[in-house]
Amino acid sequence: MATLTKQARKKIWAFGALGVFTGLLLLPLFLSFPTGASGEAPAPAATTAPPAAQPADAKPVEKARDIWFKTEGPVVGAPAPKTTDGPRDYPRYNFESRVLLWVANQQHLYYGSFVLAVPIFCMIIEYLGIITKDKALARKYDQLAYDFVKISLTAYSLTAILGGILVFTYLTLYPTFFGYLSSIFRPVMHTYALLFVAESGTLYVYYYGWDKMREGFLKWVHVSMAVILNVIGTVLMMLANSWIAFMQSPAGVDAEGRYLGNIWHVIHTTLWNPINLHRLLGNMAFGGGVVAAYAAYRFLTAKTDEERAHYDWMGYVAMFIGVCFLIPLPFAGYWLMREVYAYRQQMGITLMGGLLAWLFIIQAVMIGALFLTTNYYLWQGMERMRGAERYQKYIKYMVFVLITCFIVWLTPHTMVMSPAELKAMGGQQHPVLGNYGVMSAKNGAINTIITTTVLSFIMYQRANKIPTVKWAPLGNAFLFGLFTMAYVNIIWLAIYGYYIPANVRVGLSVPQVASTLSCLFIGVTLNSIMLSGAKDTGPIVWGQISVRSQYALIMLATAFTWMMGLMGYIRSSVRLFWHVNEIMRDNSPWAFTHTIGFAANMISFNVLFFWLTILFVFWLGSLGVKKAPVPAPIGQKVPVPASSH
Amino acid sequence: MAGQEGQVSTGMKIAIGIGSFIVAAAYFTFLDWFAMDIQGLDYFYLFRK
Repeated sequence: MATLTKQARKKIWAFGALGVFTGLLLLPLFLSFPTGASGEAPAPAATTAPPAAQPADAKPVEKARDIWFKTEGPVVGAPAPKTTDGPRDYPRYNFESRVLLWVANQQHLYYGSFVLAVPIFCMIIEYLGIITKDKALARKYDQLAYDFVKISLTAYSLTAILGGILVFTYLTLYPTFFGYLSSIFRPVMHTYALLFVAESGTLYVYYYGWDKMREGFLKWVHVSMAVILNVIGTVLMMLANSWIAFMQSPAGVDAEGRYLGNIWHVIHTTLWNPINLHRLLGNMAFGGGVVAAYAAYRFLTAKTDEERAHYDWMGYVAMFIGVCFLIPLPFAGYWLMREVYAYRQQMGITLMGGLLAWLFIIQAVMIGALFLTTNYYLWQGMERMRGAERYQKYIKYMVFVLITCFIVWLTPHTMVMSPAELKAMGGQQHPVLGNYGVMSAKNGAINTIITTTVLSFIMYQRANKIPTVKWAPLGNAFLFGLFTMAYVNIIWLAIYGYYIPANVRVGLSVPQVASTLSCLFIGVTLNSIMLSGAKDTGPIVWGQISVRSQYALIMLATAFTWMMGLMGYIRSSVRLFWHVNEIMRDNSPWAFTHTIGFAANMISFNVLFFWLTILFVFWLGSLGVKKAPVPAPIGQKVPVPASSH
Repeated sequence: MAGQEGQVSTGMKIAIGIGSFIVAAAYFTFLDWFAMDIQGLDYFYLFRK
């Protein structure tokens, strides 16, 4: 009875905690949305009183048209300030303020991405632990999820500190701009702060309640808490995204930048959702990369086979989750770019065909390197399994396909040349190679790369297994037909694109993406069904993998980090000399676009700084790891630990 | 897999192979047409021109 009461009490507490967190999540929405950003009473645009009831000297409400949504609204905000270069609008040290802001922003973003991604991992892995029937594996998953959240806890504090540094940097170096932005986003910023409190509370209860809620129903409550934690985290990210989306494609204000009383218009700008999706996927891929690199580091420094086996497995799981989100990332990026073109064609041209085009070539190289490295890791991972030898002979062909597509993928459309070089080549485009610098070829190349990566994964899945289902020959034939025809279709669409006008050609990317995703979803699902109850040719020997594979994981993480820095810079610098595009001009001395070399150095500095600090975080995390118990002398009593972690 | 393959005759293998190619080709042709159609674009533009 006493146990039952204790259980019941636990349940009540668990439900109470869940209710509080849900309430905290919803509270800011109730608080913020009815009021306008101006902080004043809502404008009497739709007053119910008859006009005759108003005082004769009542000031008429000024109305203006939304710059993007084209709706009319009451003017409730001040116009965007017109700044001048001086200490009032741009106070400074003897240093470029923009560079300081760049570092503060990037570091906060790296850590923010990490602490948003890792709890999503925890949720997935903890859930896997619950549904896995194998008790030993379930415990392993649970321990892994716990290890992940432990790492993110230290990083969480650093994220908050970096957020504070970022706000102070804005306030002290760009006070006028930040004042304008916060006048528009006042309720959103308060909501953000409240959600941050809710996120912190949920995270701490989630972490410290791990042991208390490890069994039965309470475990489900615990994993539900992870869902709430991640909903809060995602909403936080989306709110922060609304600020940068507003700066790039403002809405909810008139042409002078005056707020029109509709906070949803300000948040929901045309680029908001593409940025949300791109960032969410990017954060997940980045988080997977960082955790995989951590596991690789621990693998390389491991002293025992058990440790090596554990960290090999951890690296694989993290890499797998990361790659699951990496695969759709180029499609999300494509959607974002398409929306940028739809918003302002010139902005798209500046990005991909003008001032910033060479940065996109660097991005292409990085994406290609990411996929090559992922494939390389999977092929190396097949070494762990007996029976995988039968697939080794196909790898050389896959390498050929990947490298060929990689070269097409990074071929520039036009080159920066001297007049003599231009003359020698006969124009800005090379007569042969220039044909590969267009989107038709590049779309074909990247889709082929991704399809090949899916194929590598399917090979990995079945490396040590032989399907035993009756319809295995039919399934194998269908898989073969699916992949062959997908390759044919992707390449056919790429070639077809050269013969039709641009307005039709642009649509071909959708069936190309659909072909790739068909291979991903149909192929992997069919393969998984075929492998249920398959005959094992040998176990996966975790820990028996080449050292090179672990360097591949580190390379993967570094490439993610570098690419995030690069793409963030590209997205931000496309505003050119605007703080808020076409609304508020940047009149500081730094309203110019840096050279590619300078930008690359800055990105590298940020990457290096992040990795140095995250190593410190990892080191801190390792301090908490319990030492192996020292064997007690015979006859002496051994103290019983309070918890298993 | 060797055990499974042993149960299927060569003729059947060829039939299954051809069948799977036809199914996949039909699927991707439909996918191309459908994905263009929902964008308001004509997949067979070049051939209708």
